[in-house]
Amino acid sequence: MKNILIGGIGNVLLGDDGVGPYVARLLESRYEFETGVEVADLGTPALDLIDQISGRDVVILIDSVDSHATEAAPGAVLLYRKADIMRHRPAVRMDPHSPALVDALLSADLFGIAPADVLLVGIAAERYDAGCSLSKPVKASLDRVVGEVLSELKRLGAAYRRREHPGELGIWWIAEEKMECSALI
Amino acid sequence: MAKRITIDPITRIEGHLRIDVEVDNNAVSNAWASCTMWRGIETILRGRDPRDAWLFTQRFCGVCTTVHAMASVRAVEDALKLEVPLNAQYIRNLILIAHALHDHIVHFYQLSALDWVDILEIPKADPTATAKLAESLSPWTRNSRNEFKAAQDRVNAVASSGQLGIFMNGYWGHPAMRLSPDVNLLAFSHYVQALEYQRKALQVVGILGSKTPHIQNLTVGGVANAIDLDSASALNMDRLEMIRVLLDEVVQFINQVYFVDVCAVAAMYADWFKIGSGVKNYLAVPDLPLDSAGTAYDLPGGTIMNGNIAGVHPYKTASDKEFRDAVSEDVAHAYYHGEKALHPWAGETEPDFTGWNGEQKYSWVKAPRFNGQPMQVGPLAQVLVGYAQGHPLTQKHTNLAISKVQAIGGVRVTPDMLHSTLGRHAARAIRASMLAELAQKHLQLLTDNIAKGDYTVHNQPVFPGHEIEGVGTHEAPRGTLSHWIVIKDEKIKNYQAVVPSTWNASPRDASGAHGPYEASLLRTPLARPEEPLEVLRTIHSFDPCMACACHTFDPSGRRIAKVKVL
Repeated sequence: MKNILIGGIGNVLLGDDGVGPYVARLLESRYEFETGVEVADLGTPALDLIDQISGRDVVILIDSVDSHATEAAPGAVLLYRKADIMRHRPAVRMDPHSPALVDALLSADLFGIAPADVLLVGIAAERYDAGCSLSKPVKASLDRVVGEVLSELKRLGAAYRRREHPGELGIWWIAEEKMECSALI
Repeated sequence: MAKRITIDPITRIEGHLRIDVEVDNNAVSNAWASCTMWRGIETILRGRDPRDAWLFTQRFCGVCTTVHAMASVRAVEDALKLEVPLNAQYIRNLILIAHALHDHIVHFYQLSALDWVDILEIPKADPTATAKLAESLSPWTRNSRNEFKAAQDRVNAVASSGQLGIFMNGYWGHPAMRLSPDVNLLAFSHYVQALEYQRKALQVVGILGSKTPHIQNLTVGGVANAIDLDSASALNMDRLEMIRVLLDEVVQFINQVYFVDVCAVAAMYADWFKIGSGVKNYLAVPDLPLDSAGTAYDLPGGTIMNGNIAGVHPYKTASDKEFRDAVSEDVAHAYYHGEKALHPWAGETEPDFTGWNGEQKYSWVKAPRFNGQPMQVGPLAQVLVGYAQGHPLTQKHTNLAISKVQAIGGVRVTPDMLHSTLGRHAARAIRASMLAELAQKHLQLLTDNIAKGDYTVHNQPVFPGHEIEGVGTHEAPRGTLSHWIVIKDEKIKNYQAVVPSTWNASPRDASGAHGPYEASLLRTPLARPEEPLEVLRTIHSFDPCMACACHTFDPSGRRIAKVKVL
């Protein structure tokens, strides 16, 4: 049994940045996971991310990525492994959470408590303006994002199954439009 | 000829603060603090149910989640004149204390310590001598030769690999670094241990708030915790005992490690008691209420103007009328439309981005003013207003720190020397040790009240039809936080958050008066202007966190963030 964290990262008040927490809640309400797998809406934890990732065998993070910088169309799903993430210097601390991912992994490495396996499932965003809803392309990518997380679990040999009776979605920040998303059905 | 230096970004956890300084003859001759992101998230709250506001405000910042949740429910309760049951006050207080202890530990070890500690000196240390020195300073049982040797081995491994990893950004070997190799090793070893104890503090927040980083247990009028001594799922004696054990460990770390380390650094860098004062107007609000109506508090509040400690003006309540009337926000040098300073209840947030221009507009942070004056907020403000009022707990812990610094370095410290960069660090350690004592007190108060048979946690809010206004305050880890709400027909009509980093990082106002960050940098000597370590020391001493001072996106439409995956 592996100690696995599936964490949604992002600010739910900033448009597509909320996709990480959205997917975390989606997974939690629709799937059951074997013991040892924890699903969490992490918000924008900055360096507190160290507290979340340390001591885990595997960390799967879901977060929005900049579609300009990645040259990806909004809604594109991009995968990054630990080595991809660690290539970046921690020097550029421009955001409450993203640069802290590198910092947190480097600190955890120094202290000998870093997860061996890290996967970041990135969703190219369309907009980050103040507001609680996801853009159309990002909504359309939700099935794929969920699929990537599940296939990573399969690769790791971690068991999961779809709930017979889905739990409450708990996406309180956009309750009014939750049925628009195909992944929810 | 003055030389201009720009540092962008300056915080170790948040990247939205930019500092520009002009340097003349190796000293700072002018300074600008600016935030590079737009703020205006409050507009999301308009039209929503005031009972839900705290869920949204908790997302203002991912680091200071609980503080915005708490200020928000307090703002609604203030508008409704709604009392909060004793159990709920104690539970909230315990969450606030545990969050603050976590925050203060993280601030010192993860964000600031490496401004004073030279990692590359550690290979020269002697772990046996370090252990001897450490034992002379503190009874901490983990000050052993083995712990120090293990810490040194970690640094050696990183240094010899040529990959500095997390340490690649430090100004190592800078002439302003002055600790001996043994003291550097001592501090670094505690930096490693701090991770364990900061996590224990978060666990307390998690047990009471049911989740971290976003607590679930708040509600307007109290908390949603079920108290039932016979139920395994409710708040029962087992859970209270778990909290007690965790708090005891955190408290011991605060008293025997953090407090001592800050005093040691202060003793060895005593000249920094003369640097970094800046704005000597201080503001703190009372917090940790001891009754339902909010008439008695464990932390005192008040104001001090122009460094006149004897002239302190105390506040009796957390939403003192003078405080409510005195606050305004000025946008003369901030990227917003608006002619005159506005009270937060009438606050507007209309962006007017012009690009950085030090003579005109240069920041997304508004300039909060108190009767027109800039104010410094934070642990230093709180400790000074408490000390000046003769508040016994504040005096006790301040005097402890003063005698500890004197014992270590033979430096005579007076309360007046706290107007400084080191004073801000010392005050944070003093506040942490006060809170450590209060953590145990409030857990006892809660346990005793439950044992009496009082299980009440919530008073039902009732909304009148007419328009009402409220302010919710919290003396947060970074200083005075206030949420201002206007409610009409059970809907939010206006909402403004005046956060600690807005007070401290404020730009100039219409009169040209500097904000606290800016003023604190003036006349700071720089050994190597191209490596402005001294600027970082002073700015970090404020514990900047710009996520809630200004959030969201780059005005050009390009996200400033998301650098990690390029």
